[in-house]
Amino acid sequence: MNDRKPIYLMSPALAWLTAFMVIPCLLILALAFFRRGIYGGVEYTFTMENLALVFDPLYASIFLKSAWIAGLSGVIAVVVGYAAAFAIAAAPARRQPMLLFFAVLPFWSNYLVRTYAWIVLLNREGLIVSVVQALGYDGELPKLLYTESAVVVGLVYNYLPFVILACYAPLSRLNPEIAEASRDLGGSGWTTFRRVILPMTVPGIATGFVFVFVLSIGNFVTPALLGGGQFQMIGNLIYAQFLTANDWPFGAALSMFLIAIMMGLLTLQTFATERASGARREES
Amino acid sequence: MTQPLLSLRNVEKSFGTVRAVDGIDLDIQENEFFALLGASGSGKTTLLRMLAGFEIPTAGEIMLDGKDISNVQPNHRPVNLMFQSYALFPHMTIAQNIAYGLEMEKLPRPEINQRVEEMLGVIQLSHLAKRKPDQLSGGQRQRVALGRALVKRPRLLLLDEPLGALDKKLRGEMQLELKRIQDEFRITFIVVTHDQEEALVMADRIAILQDGQLLQCGSPHEIYEHPQNRFAADFIGVMNFLPVSKSGGALVALDGSTIMAGQNENLPSGEAVAAVRPERLHLGAADGDNSLSGKVSATAYHGLDLQLHLETPLSPTPIMVRLTADAAEGRPLAIGDDVTVGWAAKDTRIFAA
Repeated sequence: MNDRKPIYLMSPALAWLTAFMVIPCLLILALAFFRRGIYGGVEYTFTMENLALVFDPLYASIFLKSAWIAGLSGVIAVVVGYAAAFAIAAAPARRQPMLLFFAVLPFWSNYLVRTYAWIVLLNREGLIVSVVQALGYDGELPKLLYTESAVVVGLVYNYLPFVILACYAPLSRLNPEIAEASRDLGGSGWTTFRRVILPMTVPGIATGFVFVFVLSIGNFVTPALLGGGQFQMIGNLIYAQFLTANDWPFGAALSMFLIAIMMGLLTLQTFATERASGARREES
Repeated sequence: MTQPLLSLRNVEKSFGTVRAVDGIDLDIQENEFFALLGASGSGKTTLLRMLAGFEIPTAGEIMLDGKDISNVQPNHRPVNLMFQSYALFPHMTIAQNIAYGLEMEKLPRPEINQRVEEMLGVIQLSHLAKRKPDQLSGGQRQRVALGRALVKRPRLLLLDEPLGALDKKLRGEMQLELKRIQDEFRITFIVVTHDQEEALVMADRIAILQDGQLLQCGSPHEIYEHPQNRFAADFIGVMNFLPVSKSGGALVALDGSTIMAGQNENLPSGEAVAAVRPERLHLGAADGDNSLSGKVSATAYHGLDLQLHLETPLSPTPIMVRLTADAAEGRPLAIGDDVTVGWAAKDTRIFAA
């Protein structure tokens, strides 16, 4: 390894990340070990109370709830997104860029606007209810807006393009002769998918899932708008500690715990991707 | 006469308005090593893909053991294909790659293991059974691809440019290796190749394809020595062409001299071309029925032979002469020398112009 790489080209990005990412994170980490002042603010005496409070059943259950919603959103987004990516990768090559463009199109509008649109669709006088009633159903409809399902729908909708892109990449790189080889050796279409195509595209699935999970578990906009304050996700809890309860140390402790979960998952995903891509050539 | 293993009856395949394969009739016998030879775009790969089941013929029949398999799915044919890209499964070990096809047949595990081990022995990769494909060299991957197809003991093994990705020396070894394996397993091989030397060395019979049609089919010797037309003559090996016109039963060359041809050649009337292989030309006119003189314009030393380019009034392009090392050492030649070469009437071929 004596080839020199222009590492200095990374320095602006590194400086930026250090100043606005690493240092703030360290500040939050430090904050988590201080006591809350009586009238808000921070009292600079060391304590473990904030971290202990994170594991209080009340808050732990909010963490579990958030993980459940993020996980469910991730699974649904992966199933829907993988199917879409598969269809796009199977389309004629010259049509694929256009299909991808349409898949990513919602990204180009504002996150809040997109989420508000779901309120319009789901509320009691909203489009879905109107359509169902226009079709002649006049029984009681279940509540759509301000439910856990509404939050999941909103999260899946918002992050689906990520998953489509993440799954499309490995699917489009597959040599079509590999699937043909499986067919040639006696595999049915389903067996070929299960034993050859799916294992070869696991890195895309893992990337897509972790993406949705990480972005969902800390999300506070979608639960606030579509969950309607019926339940809190961890993002809302942190938001409240900093902006309404004025308990910065506890908010910092919650944040650190959340960041730790995300880092763990991203590390796992990186390892999984490297392992699946079968990198590293051994000397023969 | 026994029924051929494979019979193609007027097989056609069109893509839109393009006829990739345009009415091919062919019989292939059991245990034959058959080569489909053609330039790119000749339809040879499309034909192979129809045999494997990845394309369905637009018209015609593909009979295997007397049954029409044209519409049978690839996974239900006793036919296996060794892909040009090898198409090994990168997430499986070598042993798992080879076992895959047997698992699809739902064979009992002990039998699968035994056959995989046997096959690893045949392809001499037993020591690498646990490696992944990307840890192997090109030549080793090629052998895995062969083993993976062969282990299923198909009625018909198709090989798409099997040696295309190998370097020249390895290719020579593998040509003989493929022949040995084919002989040992007694499975019919159909090889698609654009490399005429590969076809000549390996195949029992060769079919030359051009523009989706069968140009000529025969043994390597027939194909080389008795090409049916000018294209076939030009496609296989090197051939010198001399424009002639037929006048009163004789062939008159550009300079007015007469060219003698063998008794068996059917002479077309009017304009024609006489053809002779470079290795049939000998120095000096004495021992031949025909002779021509020319000036040496280039020499190329190949070790085992010396190739001369002669500029002669008989041909618009220089003609090639291939001298053995013995003949070349007997007479030193330099560019600009005047040389006379002769050849026997029986070595002259005549084609329509």
